[in-house]
Amino acid sequence: MSTQLELNVRRKGAMSGVLTIGSLDPAFAMAREVEGGMAVLDLSAVEFVEPAGLCGLASLLEFLIPRSRLVGLRFSGHNVTAYLERMNFFKIFGHRVETNADVAALEERRRGNPGTLQELINFHSEGEIPGIINRISEILTNKDYRLRERAAICATLSEICANAVEHGRSPFGAYAAVQAYQHIVSGPRRGERQGEEVLVAIADGGVGVRETLLRNPAYVEHTGSDNDALRHALKMGVSGTGEVGRGGGLAVVGQIATRAGGSLSLRSGSGRVTYYGDRTNSRNVPDFPGAFVRVSLPRKAASSQPPAVSKSKKPIAKSR
Amino acid sequence: MAEEAQSRAHAVYDVALGGGDGAGGKLMVTRGTGRRVREALGEVLESLAGGGVLYVDVRGVELMDYSFADEALGILASRVAAGEYGDRRVVLVEEDRELLENIEASLRQRSLAMVRVDEPGATPEIVGEVPEHLVETLQAIYDAGSISNADLAARLGVNHTACNNRATRLFKLGLIHRRKNTAAPGGRQYFYEGIV
Repeated sequence: MSTQLELNVRRKGAMSGVLTIGSLDPAFAMAREVEGGMAVLDLSAVEFVEPAGLCGLASLLEFLIPRSRLVGLRFSGHNVTAYLERMNFFKIFGHRVETNADVAALEERRRGNPGTLQELINFHSEGEIPGIINRISEILTNKDYRLRERAAICATLSEICANAVEHGRSPFGAYAAVQAYQHIVSGPRRGERQGEEVLVAIADGGVGVRETLLRNPAYVEHTGSDNDALRHALKMGVSGTGEVGRGGGLAVVGQIATRAGGSLSLRSGSGRVTYYGDRTNSRNVPDFPGAFVRVSLPRKAASSQPPAVSKSKKPIAKSR
Repeated sequence: MAEEAQSRAHAVYDVALGGGDGAGGKLMVTRGTGRRVREALGEVLESLAGGGVLYVDVRGVELMDYSFADEALGILASRVAAGEYGDRRVVLVEEDRELLENIEASLRQRSLAMVRVDEPGATPEIVGEVPEHLVETLQAIYDAGSISNADLAARLGVNHTACNNRATRLFKLGLIHRRKNTAAPGGRQYFYEGIV
C-alpha cells in the first residue's frame, strides 16, 4: 500500500512555491496513517525551501521512515534539489529515502550558497552546541555582521538548540538550519522594512512543550491545550522543572527577536503560537511530533538600530 | 574608600581567558559551559582569605546566552547569598553592553543582585534586583565608604534595629561587607562598607 502525502504549497502571492512549516500540515496529518506501507511526498510544486520548511521536512521524514517500508520524495527541476544538496539535506537523508533527484550529479556541481549561515545540522547533545555556535559566529564575522547582530543570532540559536536537546528525549535528536535572505520580510508591518532577514529554525522529536510543562504541577491551569502550554512557555521563568533560574531562555529569545522587529514561532502538538512582542497569535494545526521553533531576525541599517539598552544603569554611589 | 576595604584580599578572574583549565572563551553558551566557569570561579573564591573579593571580568566575552549567564553567574550569586563562601564577595566587571541583559534577567529571576563596575576602581552599580526598601540603605553605605550602624540609622532616619535588619539583608545578599567593632563606645557595634 502506498500513501500519497499532500502538501499545502501556495501557487500565488509572495509565498508562492515556498515550502514552509505550514506547507507540511496535510502531510503531518496523513503521516500517522502510514503503517508499514510506502509513503510518497511530492515536492514538485516547491520552488523554494526556507529553514523552517527544511527542519519541518526533516522532522516529517524522521517520523515517517521508522513507520514506512519506503519513503519516496519527488522533485521537479534542479533549483530545489540543488538548494537541498547545499543545505546537506541529501547527505543526511539521501540513503534513507528514494528520490528521483540525481544526487551524485548535485554533489559534483556543489558550490557555496551566499545566504547559508548553517546547513541542516543534526545534533544530539548540549555538548555539540558550542561548536555549532563557534562556526556560525565565524561565518557571521566573515560576512561583516556587527557584533550585536552576531550576538543576537548566536544567543538565539544556542538557547533554542539547548532547549531542543534538553527537553527533547528525541529519537533523532534535533535539526537546525539558519539562512539569510535579501528583501524577504515576514512578521508585522510588512512593507515598512527593507533589507535582510535571518531565519533560524530548530525541530526536535521529543515529548513536546505541553508534556514537558505538565511535569510541573504548578502549571496545571496553563496546560489545558497545546496552545495554552506554548503561550505559557514564552513567559519568563516557566520551565518543566520549576527550578529558580530556569525557563528564561525562550523569553530572552522572544525579546531579542521582537526588538529586532521580528518574531518567535513555536509549534508543538496541535498548537502553533507566534509572538510579535505586542501580540501573540495562536491557532490549531495538525499534530507536530515534538517541538518546533522558528525565529525571524530582520537586519536593520546601523542608523536605525536602537541604542544599547541602559536600563541596568543603577549607580549605588556617587561618581568617583 | 575605607582603608579596611583596601586591605582586603582580592583576585581577578578573566572569563574570556579562563583559568588555564580550558574554561575560557569569547562565545559563552550553554549551561554546561556555564557550570565549568562557575566551578573555576568557586575554586578561586574559596582560595581567598575571609572577606576577600573576586572580580569576575567578562569584558573579553563577545556574547553569552541566558543559560550560560544563569549557570555561571546566577547560581554563583545564589551560592554567595546562601553563605556558601562565608563573607567572601563577588564583583562583576563589565561595561554596559547588551550582554549584561542576560545576567540581569538571571539575577532578577533569582531575586538577587551583584555589584558591577565598568573597570576595577570605577563607580559601582547594581545589576539584578535589590528590594526597593534596601536601595537607599545600600546607597548610603556606598556613599559613606564605611559607616557604623548608629550613624547609618541616623542618616536614614530609622531606629537601630530596623537599620541593622536592612544592612544584614544586604550583607547576606553579598552586596556589602560587615564587621564588628567591639571597642566602640557603648559596646559592640556593626560597621558596614561597600565591597568595592
